[in-house]
Amino acid sequence: MGPSSRYAALRLAALTKTFGRKMVVDHIDLEVPRGSFFGLVGPNGAGKTTSLSMAVGLLRPDGGRAEIFGLDAWADPARAKKLIGVLPDGLSMPERLTGRELLRFTGLLRGMELKEVERRAGELLEVLELDEAERTLVMEYSTGMRKKIGLATALLHAPRLLVLDEPLEAVDPVSAASIKVILQRFVGSGGSVVFSSHVMALVEQLCDHVAVIASGRVVASGTLEAVRAGRSLEERFVSLVGGQVPEVGELAWLSS
Amino acid sequence: MAVLLIQMKLAVLRHSMTGRRAAQMVTGALTGLALAGGLIVLAGRDYPLASLPFDLLGVGFALWTAGWLLGPTLFGGGDETLRPEHFSLLSFTPRRLAAGLAGAAFVGVAPLVTLVAFSALVVVAVKAGVGAAATAVGVLAVVLQLVVCVLASRLVTAVLGQVMRSKVGAALAALVSAAILAGLHSSWVLSPLVQAALRTGFPAPFSACVVALPSGWGLVAVRAAGQGQWPTVAVALAGLAALGVMCWYGWAALLKRRLTTRRPSGRPVRVASGGWAKGPMTAVAARELRTWSRDLLRFHYLVFALCYALAFCLLPLAIDAPIFLPWTGAVFALWVAAISANLYGEDGTELWCKMMVPGAARHDVRGRQLAWLLVTAPPTLVLTAAMVVFTGEFGLWPWLAALVPALLSGGAGVTVLMSVLRPVPMTDPHRRGGNLLENGTDFAQVLLVLILTAATAAPAYFAVRLGPVWAGPVMGLAGGAAMAWLLGRLAATRLESSAPELLLHLRTGVSPKRRRPAAALDLARPHLPKPDLGLDKLGLDLAPTGRRAYVIASLTLCWVPLVAQGIVPALMLTTGHVTPSWLLALHLPQHLQWPTIIAMIALGLVLLTTGLGIGLYYLARSRRDGIKLDDGP
Repeated sequence: MGPSSRYAALRLAALTKTFGRKMVVDHIDLEVPRGSFFGLVGPNGAGKTTSLSMAVGLLRPDGGRAEIFGLDAWADPARAKKLIGVLPDGLSMPERLTGRELLRFTGLLRGMELKEVERRAGELLEVLELDEAERTLVMEYSTGMRKKIGLATALLHAPRLLVLDEPLEAVDPVSAASIKVILQRFVGSGGSVVFSSHVMALVEQLCDHVAVIASGRVVASGTLEAVRAGRSLEERFVSLVGGQVPEVGELAWLSS
Repeated sequence: MAVLLIQMKLAVLRHSMTGRRAAQMVTGALTGLALAGGLIVLAGRDYPLASLPFDLLGVGFALWTAGWLLGPTLFGGGDETLRPEHFSLLSFTPRRLAAGLAGAAFVGVAPLVTLVAFSALVVVAVKAGVGAAATAVGVLAVVLQLVVCVLASRLVTAVLGQVMRSKVGAALAALVSAAILAGLHSSWVLSPLVQAALRTGFPAPFSACVVALPSGWGLVAVRAAGQGQWPTVAVALAGLAALGVMCWYGWAALLKRRLTTRRPSGRPVRVASGGWAKGPMTAVAARELRTWSRDLLRFHYLVFALCYALAFCLLPLAIDAPIFLPWTGAVFALWVAAISANLYGEDGTELWCKMMVPGAARHDVRGRQLAWLLVTAPPTLVLTAAMVVFTGEFGLWPWLAALVPALLSGGAGVTVLMSVLRPVPMTDPHRRGGNLLENGTDFAQVLLVLILTAATAAPAYFAVRLGPVWAGPVMGLAGGAAMAWLLGRLAATRLESSAPELLLHLRTGVSPKRRRPAAALDLARPHLPKPDLGLDKLGLDLAPTGRRAYVIASLTLCWVPLVAQGIVPALMLTTGHVTPSWLLALHLPQHLQWPTIIAMIALGLVLLTTGLGIGLYYLARSRRDGIKLDDGP
């Protein structure tokens, strides 16, 4: 079933979440065009992870809507979830399986044919250079390997939208390079990617669209060029979120 | 440094004195003080024999010390308020750190309560009139005994923490805790012996054993001081002091090991083909079976259930009572259910993987049920068959053929339902340090599952009791299958509807509170904040007052007719061990006994089902309204 081409890959409308008294996500509106490589940047605690969790159906919002190719992620989760692949940050996986077992059982749980699962799993493991870790449990994987097997799980059912939370956080440069290539190929073949990061250089290198989130609100959103407004993304980001560079003279005791 | 660490610990304790933690701490302190008070009363009473208070206190101190040594292993964790890892980058030698942490270890509720308990030693000295010098020896011994207790507890917990990183260690720990628990539960075997001892004194070898244990050395010192045998006093006190130093040295060495070594990683595993897993449900079952064999915690639990069943059913052989032997399999099944009802809690935040797969909830629940049966049923059946052959109790077959399948199916249903309804959040598997002690057992959950699983066998029990000979086995199999199906369906439905809340709970450890629907507020009436009874958690916030009261009252009271006035007298009449007590049916003429019991059980069931029915109706309504509000524009 092909997602209708009228709709954006992901659309958040007035999405809201409050934890205790703190409004972590404050009526966020966001539109990720189909076929785009979309970067979500913001300081720690800005609400990136919370927004993405609500967008894909992992955290129930207090208000607002999340649509995936026009399908309401909360009212029609079964159809919406078929179209997305998700890689959350810091959550557990079926830790006591090897990478291949994880892919096999995930595919079977999705109702795929065993043969097809095995074929895709083999290819994914090879491309992500995980085939050597055939007999290692996921819980023994390094951070980079965990991200890679997570990405493989997200890609297994050929989704149309990938939602990735900090996919390259703490990943070594070699693994990062192979993940980047796979993501670019995915977008090249018509897929859409949303990923959160606080590494500006990475977002500038990969993305064509970007949104800046601070204190639970979208403070800028659009094509990379429009958001940058002629400056580097980092300069623009710091000016948008109101950070300040420490002045000379502070922490003088460090140089003694 | 010790002073600084004590200040740190006091600060942490102060900050954690909120809500549930504070309540736990106060309850623990009061329970401990009650037990300590019991020891003091024991020391101050009059006895027919002069040696009796010393022997009794010896036993009391031995049990108290055993609690210190094994408590952390059985109940999880031990005192980790200050973790040595926090200080590993500071420039302390491990021994200095151990000294500081040892100092801090004496700060807290438990050492204080123990000090009160051990002061029974001084009481017994005063009571026995052994003189001022002997009483002073008692005071010194109390302090030394406390030091040994706290430090030995640290050492033993650290040793077990290291040992339990391997399968052998996990099995060993399971064996020890199963033996202790089964021993406690079979203590009725010992009660005639104890009663005799209270009249005529303990047998000499037993008294010798009690004072030979380090927990009895303080008593030895006090008695010897009373008789003027000062060399013995010196040896006993010096022994305590030396033991304390040795425990501290050993603990310091283990602390160094803990801070400087990491468990090996990247071990290859045996990979089974898993070729039989071809669909969603079998895939889940295959994954679960791998968890059962690869997860140290689950392996530990499984060995525990087996050892407990064997110990519990074999111990009465000591007084020539083989009555439990044919039920070993059933006891095993019951305990496997009790310790595997936190399936989602153990897997942790992995739940998100299933949430991203449309329709996975149903397959996941059914697959887990299948895996549970594959793990539990074969040993249960083998144990049952073997013990029946061993005891020759072939006449029990209608009971066994009814109750064993009923318990197995009930376990398969209750475990998944409980895993969804009452998960106990745990550290995610990949963040666990490999030490099983980090995740304590939730005893409330264990107890709840034991009761519920046993209750699922009730229809089979009554079918055997009241029906023709074929009724029991048929009810056990068919009724059990229906029960497993129904409970699994409830679990799947619940998982489907509340997975995001469950994930949040597992992720943060905080049970999510749904928002009270705005419609429930009556703005026309001025209202004061009511005490929160957790009604919104039960879904009763929308129910009218009368029905709310009925649900709470019926669910609280239904157990009296159902269990206390129904099942218990039924069991007594069946087994022939009749103690009328407050059981109404047993005070009536014989021909009215069974009708009364049946009426009581029926009353209990009516209360239970109507209360549950109304409660679940409002729970569903409250949840639906809550979601409607959440998703509203």
